[in-house]
Amino acid sequence: MIIKKLIEKVEGEANLSFEFKDGKISNVDIIFNIYRGIEEILKGKPTRDALVITPRVCGICNHAHLIASVRAIEDGLKNNSLEFTLTQKAKDIREFTLACELIQNHIKWLYLTIYPYLERLLKIERSDNHTLKASYIANTITKAMAIFAGQWPHSSYAVVGGVTCDPTYLDTIQSLSHIEDAIRFYEKVVIGMNLDDYLAIESISNLDKLGGDFAKLLYLLGKNEFAKIGKSFDRFISFSDSHISKKAKSIITTVSAVELKFVKEYKQKDSFAKGVKYKNRYFEVGPLARAMINKEPIVKSLHKKYKDATLTRVYARVHEVALLLKQTKEILQNLDVTQESCVLDSKIDINNITGIGTVEAARGSLIHKLEVENSLIKSYDIITPTQWNLSNNAVAAKAMIGLDSEDIASFVFRTFDVCSVCTTH
Amino acid sequence: MSKKPKLLWLQSLTCNGNSHSFFNHSDLFSILSHFELIHFPLIDTKYTLEDVLNKRVNCDILIIEGSIKHGLEKCGVDIATLIDYYANEAKYIITAGTCATFGGMFKEYDSDNINGFAFDRDKAIDNFSKFRKKLISLPGCPIHPKWLSYVLLMIANKKNIPLDDKNRPQELYSITVHTGCVRNEYFEWKIDTHGFGHKEGCSFYENGCQGPFTRGSCNKILWNDVSSKTIIGTPCFGCTEPDFPKERLFFTKTNMGIPQKMPLEVPKRAYLTITGVAKSFNIKRLERKLIEYNNDN
Ligand code: SF4
Ligand code: SF4
Repeated sequence: MIIKKLIEKVEGEANLSFEFKDGKISNVDIIFNIYRGIEEILKGKPTRDALVITPRVCGICNHAHLIASVRAIEDGLKNNSLEFTLTQKAKDIREFTLACELIQNHIKWLYLTIYPYLERLLKIERSDNHTLKASYIANTITKAMAIFAGQWPHSSYAVVGGVTCDPTYLDTIQSLSHIEDAIRFYEKVVIGMNLDDYLAIESISNLDKLGGDFAKLLYLLGKNEFAKIGKSFDRFISFSDSHISKKAKSIITTVSAVELKFVKEYKQKDSFAKGVKYKNRYFEVGPLARAMINKEPIVKSLHKKYKDATLTRVYARVHEVALLLKQTKEILQNLDVTQESCVLDSKIDINNITGIGTVEAARGSLIHKLEVENSLIKSYDIITPTQWNLSNNAVAAKAMIGLDSEDIASFVFRTFDVCSVCTTH
Repeated sequence: MSKKPKLLWLQSLTCNGNSHSFFNHSDLFSILSHFELIHFPLIDTKYTLEDVLNKRVNCDILIIEGSIKHGLEKCGVDIATLIDYYANEAKYIITAGTCATFGGMFKEYDSDNINGFAFDRDKAIDNFSKFRKKLISLPGCPIHPKWLSYVLLMIANKKNIPLDDKNRPQELYSITVHTGCVRNEYFEWKIDTHGFGHKEGCSFYENGCQGPFTRGSCNKILWNDVSSKTIIGTPCFGCTEPDFPKERLFFTKTNMGIPQKMPLEVPKRAYLTITGVAKSFNIKRLERKLIEYNNDN
């Protein structure tokens, strides 16, 4: 028996086709049937134009695309033996705006994608405050970020060699106020406790201190078997170093190095989205992957008990917000505005280069690869996080196989924070 | 039965950016309180996308996001046909974003088959004459949340919105992005910003700023309530215009050292005269760094 389901409001839509055998899901095909041809559009363009075009891959993680793109060009220049180092200020500002994008993303996912559908699934009373909460954070965080990036979505403020902005302390102080507002919200509404106290929790046995919507969510998930279901390969990967991740993989909790050359994309039948594997194996990307690789104590503690079940996956994403909030505050408190914003001449010729840029986007590692010939883009390749998690037979499919209801499976699917828009670039 | 206008947000070929941009609005809930929200891509609404696709809903205001691509289907439903259906039904049609209005960036992939709802770049197509009475064009990549809320609240308050020849609200698009930019003084005295990453200088001469000939109020109604591209030293890329995106977006095309494209409706001769005069002075304050952080005083 085959049951088809349209999953909407996952940053676009996805079509799932569940195959049932003996009352259990035996296979899931995930189909994205839109294609926008962004890689084709980029061909033949002057290289720097990628910084304006690639953010338009995705309305929610546009900033990650910008950073991946600028890093790919910078990597190419370095491969061509141009020597330069970004100032700490430029690096910090990029990390800051990126972290802001992740925060708004995770909170929107919590309140727009997870809560409403969980309440519907469990047929419990629905609270209509979720949208209000998501909107508050979206608004507050994008303000903090736009002070540096000019706007969100679709900023192109990261340029080759740095950033276009040249903030004053007037800017950093105003931005800090918005971040402090966001922290207050997270403390009062999401975790029901002080941020530093929360971050000091290292094991499940101390989680009873947790309150707020997070505690309620964990309770609902635990009570309804989500601590047992949704398990996948238990293999995780990340391709960039940052505050929340390392370039590495984790297989049954053993962390080891990775090399980009082992990443391979392949065509999938019936879908416009390409699949992707590392050394011919599927890997999970995203907050859970990052936490496992970074050996985040509380996530490891949950993983020890529940493995990579839905509960652990959901936990890692909400938890990451705490890490990011703390990071953004620290960056702003320590930012040295007197350094240079951009170390390269705006007119240097970008020619005959190949480069790769990686970044940790909300949903996991994002990879941009480009080749430039005669000062024009010859090829551009984008591998999105959702491709890792949602290829057919890959991580999300495995997490759904064996379940006995397509509604529960669809919820498990949502916990991966699917981005159909990105995937159909 | 609610008498509030029914609002339906429909997506075609899009990046979701307009939905997210609007969702950032600081007064989202007070705006939405004037409407019955039938469908919006980010918010859990009463009706599902399947209801929308199967024409089980009604609408008074149709918001279109994304460019129209012939043959684009969702669950076997042709989206262009579906948009036509709701367009006929609606009392107002808002094209939100440059894609929905003029075709936008995605048009470049398959130019013959991808257009705006009523325009192919700057050329009006059939839908324009058919729907011009109820069409409001809101180009911008993405739309500014407050431009959309202005239009929605004008409708809710039964007010007439003055439009230009492309059905853009004049109150939003009669000025250029240059209006209100904090770098105006540098523009007046023709002082370039010299690369990226400076508070000082204007981006018109080298970095490709299109502010002076791009319609929009980005510097009058700030982005995310706090800033704009040109304020933080990124050039304006002309994203509200029918020909967005052009090429070489970080460079000014010049002719004998003078920007090729003039500020909107400014004759080249007038510009050259003023430039000659402005450049003949050497104004120290504008050549200096604005702030000396290592000053011991
Ligand atoms: S106009 Fe820009 S923001 Fe809107 S859908 Fe198109 S690419 Fe996205
Ligand atoms: S940077 Fe652009 S918008 Fe600002 S003053 Fe110069 S030309 Fe005008």
